[in-house]
Amino acid sequence: MKNINVRESIAAYSFLSPALILLGLFLLLPVLMAIYYAFTDYYLLTPDNRQFVGLENFIAIIKDPIFLQSLKNVALFVVCVIPVQIGSALGLALLINKQRRGNLFFKVAFFAPVVLSLVVISVLWLYLLNPSEGLINVILERVGINPQPFLTSPDQAIYTIVFVSAWQGAGYQMLIFLAGLQNIPSSVYEASKMDGANKWQNFIHITLPLLKPTSILIMITTLIAAFKLIIQPMVMTQGGPMNSTMTPVYYIYQTGFSDRLIGYASAMTVVFGILIGIVTFIQSKVSREDDS
Amino acid sequence: MKKFMILIVCSFLVMITTACSGEKASSDNKNEVSLWVHTSKETAEGKAMQKIIDRFNQEYEGKYSANIEFIPRSGSGGGYEDKINAALTTDTLPDVFTLDGPNTAAYAESGMIAPIDDYISNKDDLLPSIIQQGTYDGKLYAVGYSESGVGVFYNKQMLKDAGIDLSTLPTVDDPWDWNQFMELCETLVNTYDVPAIDMGLNDKSEWLMYAFSPFLWSQGGNIVNEDGTKATGVFNDEDSVKTMNFIQDMVEKGYTTKTPVEKAFQTGKYPMKFTGSWTIAEMESSYPDVEYGIMPYPTSPDTNKLVSPSGSWQYAMSATTDKKEAAGALIDFMTSTESLTEITLANSVLPAAYSVVEEVKDKVSPQMNVLIKQNTKTGHARPVLPEYPQVSRTFQQTISNVTYYEKNNDIQKLLDQKAAQMDKALK
Repeated sequence: MKNINVRESIAAYSFLSPALILLGLFLLLPVLMAIYYAFTDYYLLTPDNRQFVGLENFIAIIKDPIFLQSLKNVALFVVCVIPVQIGSALGLALLINKQRRGNLFFKVAFFAPVVLSLVVISVLWLYLLNPSEGLINVILERVGINPQPFLTSPDQAIYTIVFVSAWQGAGYQMLIFLAGLQNIPSSVYEASKMDGANKWQNFIHITLPLLKPTSILIMITTLIAAFKLIIQPMVMTQGGPMNSTMTPVYYIYQTGFSDRLIGYASAMTVVFGILIGIVTFIQSKVSREDDS
Repeated sequence: MKKFMILIVCSFLVMITTACSGEKASSDNKNEVSLWVHTSKETAEGKAMQKIIDRFNQEYEGKYSANIEFIPRSGSGGGYEDKINAALTTDTLPDVFTLDGPNTAAYAESGMIAPIDDYISNKDDLLPSIIQQGTYDGKLYAVGYSESGVGVFYNKQMLKDAGIDLSTLPTVDDPWDWNQFMELCETLVNTYDVPAIDMGLNDKSEWLMYAFSPFLWSQGGNIVNEDGTKATGVFNDEDSVKTMNFIQDMVEKGYTTKTPVEKAFQTGKYPMKFTGSWTIAEMESSYPDVEYGIMPYPTSPDTNKLVSPSGSWQYAMSATTDKKEAAGALIDFMTSTESLTEITLANSVLPAAYSVVEEVKDKVSPQMNVLIKQNTKTGHARPVLPEYPQVSRTFQQTISNVTYYEKNNDIQKLLDQKAAQMDKALK
């Protein structure tokens, strides 16, 4: 009996091994290396001369105004993008949940931005939002509104990126919401109809509560993805104007690969990783408390 | 199905082992030199390089031979530099490779590249800006094989229509200062009611450093001190303030704009554009009907000294190579008058040596000749500092911030702040 168990677990592990090796090689190992480098003065061009510097990098981080600014920016981004993106995803899902003519067309149209590369999307919006002759400003001018410096004003740039990101990402969450909506048994709605509930009451008391597991999943994935913001600012604003769209991941990339300060960049990833961990932990705590 | 799975697992393992084994770029043969370049085989530059290597192999047959490997770069050269960095970590650098001008100091400081003073036979012929760019700590580490430059491109018809006599425009020998240049801008803005010049202020990358630092040098200022250890006291001095004021005035008075219309100069919407030799090629191929000329850089009214940007990719020798003689011979061959002329004409770039200037002078357009003359006489290399990336980015941010004149009225305060930021990187 025992023999069979051992053989079975060997078989199980050998089936798992490709995944485990990949995970270890490309996820676990880099994480451990980053933690180690965070305590060294690793300069990209002199890999052999790295020295242990203790907490020096972490002390420098606390005093780094650009890193702190980038944390502020990404926090603002997350706080804005989550309601906008999830709200519009839910709205779109509700719209296409009903059987209508041309539903497939709308499904594809809403999902299309997800399929496109983020770089393409960013370049596209860069043209649309051009202050001098971009389509959006031309339209605004016709309506009598002054041209807006969407991406070139330090006060507007981050919100423009919020909008573009939500526009790009909402299609994906829409599909997940749609699956969640279609999992709600129609018998529940029929029962509420008998009780005389109107559409709004249906939505508040049936649809939303039953969508909760889906919403939690979407919240967590969107949150983590939002923290990793880099491509849109990289392409559209290069972190400017005046660092107003600089994000931690972009700053880490810049420090590591153009300034070649791998040690310092690693320390920032460690700090940033811990911060994301804390936020995710709080979020899952909060959503679990709601359950009970 | 089972067999299929085994196949997948096996091929995966093979993949890992081959990926890890890593090939050494340099061969074991003492006289065979390997060369990495950042362009693609299909470009004019790549083709010219291949021809030069073929000639080298012919001329040195039996003595040395060279292999060229093309590693096309993506975007701003990141892909190629990643490959160099990876090769450095795994100790698989080639014997000779190309590098961008601003990387000289970092590579030399880290001991990646070796001094090549002793191998270059035509040092006196190379332009001062080329020597300046390749020299670190008193030794020559790299030799640029071409030059670049920027000037004020102007649309002849548009200037004429605005009532400007083209024969009074400035030349390299008799440049205009900032005030004269701004008067021209004023006339053009009044005539056309658009920004007079596209200065590329929407480009928040190296361009802002490359194209705008000459204004500071013309004023007599600098970015960091002589030994490259401090920016405070230099970058926030009176000269910097004056220079930044000029740039801010250009934006504030509407002579130029942070958000230029795409291709505005090429399509005749703006009368002038601040751009480099690459636009000459673009005008020739895509906008042959536009008649344009090139003016030199405007100079500071205090000094009236013409300074123009320069810089390019260069050849350098890996410090770890055990074939110094052969590698040195290859670099010397590739930077000889004949090789440099070949690459200059093929790629329509500016020449890197005096003898090459003489060779190509009669074969290139009059516009190109303005840039060549300006570069030969006044080209200034970017600072050769190991911390160049940080210094350059801070300079770019300074220029970008200055253009937001409503938020940065106090230029002194901004410069104090930015100089301190540079100091942090320079420590």
